Amino acid sequence: MTAPIISTKGMSHAYGDIVALHDVTIDVPPGSIGLVGANGAGKTTLIKILLGILEPTVGSVDVLSVDVVKDPIPMRSNVGYMPEGSCLPLSQTAADFTVYAAELAGLPRRASRQRASDVLTLVGLHEERFRYMGEFSTGMKQRAMLAQAIVHDPSLVFLDEPTAGLDPEGREEMLELVGRLGSFGINVLTSSHVLTDIERTCDWVIMLDGGRVLRNGPLAGLTDTSTVEVEVLGDPVVVAEALTRAGATVETDHQTVFVEYPAGDTFVLVRDVLADTGIGMRRLGARSTSLEDIFLAQDLEPPS
Amino acid sequence: MSDRGVVFDLGYVPYEGPRLGTAAAVRAEVRDGIRRVLGLRRKARKKILPWMLVGIALIPAIVFVGLAFLLSSFDPLGAGEDSPFGGHVDFFGLIGNVVLLFAALAGPELLVPDRTEGVLAVYSSRPMRPRDYLLGRTGALAIVLAGFLLVPQFLMYLGFAALDDAGFLRALAERSDDLVQIVLSSGVYMLAYGAPAILIATFARRTAPATGVYLALMLVLSGFAQGMVEGDVTGARFAALGALAQHPVVVTDWIFDHSTFGLAPVDAGWDPWVSLAIILLVTAVTAVVTIRRYRSLM
Repeated sequence: MTAPIISTKGMSHAYGDIVALHDVTIDVPPGSIGLVGANGAGKTTLIKILLGILEPTVGSVDVLSVDVVKDPIPMRSNVGYMPEGSCLPLSQTAADFTVYAAELAGLPRRASRQRASDVLTLVGLHEERFRYMGEFSTGMKQRAMLAQAIVHDPSLVFLDEPTAGLDPEGREEMLELVGRLGSFGINVLTSSHVLTDIERTCDWVIMLDGGRVLRNGPLAGLTDTSTVEVEVLGDPVVVAEALTRAGATVETDHQTVFVEYPAGDTFVLVRDVLADTGIGMRRLGARSTSLEDIFLAQDLEPPS
Repeated sequence: MSDRGVVFDLGYVPYEGPRLGTAAAVRAEVRDGIRRVLGLRRKARKKILPWMLVGIALIPAIVFVGLAFLLSSFDPLGAGEDSPFGGHVDFFGLIGNVVLLFAALAGPELLVPDRTEGVLAVYSSRPMRPRDYLLGRTGALAIVLAGFLLVPQFLMYLGFAALDDAGFLRALAERSDDLVQIVLSSGVYMLAYGAPAILIATFARRTAPATGVYLALMLVLSGFAQGMVEGDVTGARFAALGALAQHPVVVTDWIFDHSTFGLAPVDAGWDPWVSLAIILLVTAVTAVVTIRRYRSLM
C-alpha cells in the first residue's frame, strides 16, 4: 500500500460516559474513501478528530503525515471540509465568501480571487456568484459549500453527507462533482449513510458501527464474490439440478441461479450445463454484493 | 495553420503557490470583520445604521472646528484658541453614547452570525485556533472603534492647528500632548465599550437581542447606580462601580485633567484609577470567558 493519507492507532473518543469511537485503528491510502455507518455510528466524530477539531481520548492520529493530536495547524492548509449542516454566511455573495475561504486557508489575495472564480465555475455557480447566498436554493448552497471546501486546492477534502437534503437531480449532480474530485488530484473522504452514494463514488470504504470499525478496505474486495449468477430463460430448477449433480452449490431466486464451484471454473461449468440442458440465458456474471448486503450479513441494521 | 481562434479547456488547474498560514488567515479575518461591521459588500440595509453613526460621530468634530474658525474670523485675537464651544475632551463626552450604540451593533454582528450560520466549521478546518479566530474578530472591532473615535479627533486636531496663530506645523508640535491624550482615551473607550459587547455576543443566539441586552446592561446599570448614589441609599458606593458606561468618561476626564461631576463613580467617592481598574477587569474577564467558550465550539 502507498503511504496512507490517514492513519489512526488505538484511537478512542468519548463524550462524557458515551463512547463515540472505540479503538479505531485504520490506515487509508490515497483515493476516494467512503465512510459509512448508521446515524450515531461515529462518522462526524471521526471526521472532527481527523481535522483536529476534537481530541481523541486516547490513541494517535496522523493525517497527511501530520500528527493531528500534537498540532493540526500545519495540516489544515491542505485539507478542506464540507460540514453536514450549513456553513454559509447568508448575507455574503458566493464570490466574496469563496475568496474569503481561500484567504483563510492562507492563499494570497490575488490567487484567492482566481481560484474562487475557477472553482465556482467548476461547481456550476459561475452565473450565480454575485448573488447573496441567502437567496440560494438547497442545491446551490451545497455547491457553494463544496466550493469553499476545495477552493484552496486541498490534498484531502472531508465531505460530511454531501447529498443531504438534495432532490434526486441535485443529488446526481453533487455525486458527479464528488466523483470528479479524484481526477483533480484531490483525495476525498465522503461520509454518508446512503450506501449507493459510496458505492458510486468511492474505491475504499471504512464501515463504522457503534463507534467500532467493521471493515476498512478496498470497495472492490468487499463487494466482489466468487459466486456466479446466471439469469436463465427456461426452467431454473432444471439448471439448478444439473449444476448440483456436477458438484456446485446452488441457490435460486426466480429466474436467477447463483452458483459456487470451488472445484473448477464456475463460468465453464455454467456454460456446459446450459449447453447440455438446452436452456438459454439472459445474463451471466460475477455476483456483486452491495454494501447493504454486507451490513445485513453481519446482522446489522443497514444505514438506510 | 488556421487563423481562426482556438478555445483551450484548461480543465482543473492545481494551485502551486504559497500557503501563508495562520497570520495571513487572521489578517483576512480582520478585513472581513471590518467589511461586515460597516456593511461593505453587503445589502444596502446593512450599511444604513453603521454609516449613519459614523456621520453622527463626525458632526461634533466639524461643528467644533467650524465654530473655532468663525471665532477666529470675527475676533483675530481669539484666533488659535480652541473653540470655546468644545475641544477634544468634550468630543468624547458628546459621542460617548454614539460609540456605545456602535459597539452594541458591531460586537454581535461580528460573532453571532458565524455561530448561528455554522461558519465556525469553516474556520475550524482552516489553519486557525480558537484564539486566532477571536484575535481576528476583536481586532476588527478594535480597528473600527479606533477609527470611529480617532478620525473625528484627528480632524479636530488638524483643524485647530490650522487655525492657530502660531502656524500649522508649529501648532501641531505644540499640541502633540493632545494626541497622546486622544489615543489613550480612545483606547479606554474601546476597552470599556468593546469588551462587554464581545462578552454578550459570545453567548447570544441572535444579533438584535444581543444589542438590546448590551444597551440595557450598560445604560440601565449606570442609571441605576446614578440613582442610588444621588439618593444616598445603602450600598450606593459599591453600586457605583457597576456604572459601566460611565467609567470611560471618568478615566478620560482624568487623562485630560478635566473636572468630572455628575458621574456615579466620582460622586460615590471613587478615584479615577478605580474606574480604570474596573474597565481592565471586565476586559480580562471577557478574554478568559470568550476563549473558554470558543474552545468548546471550535
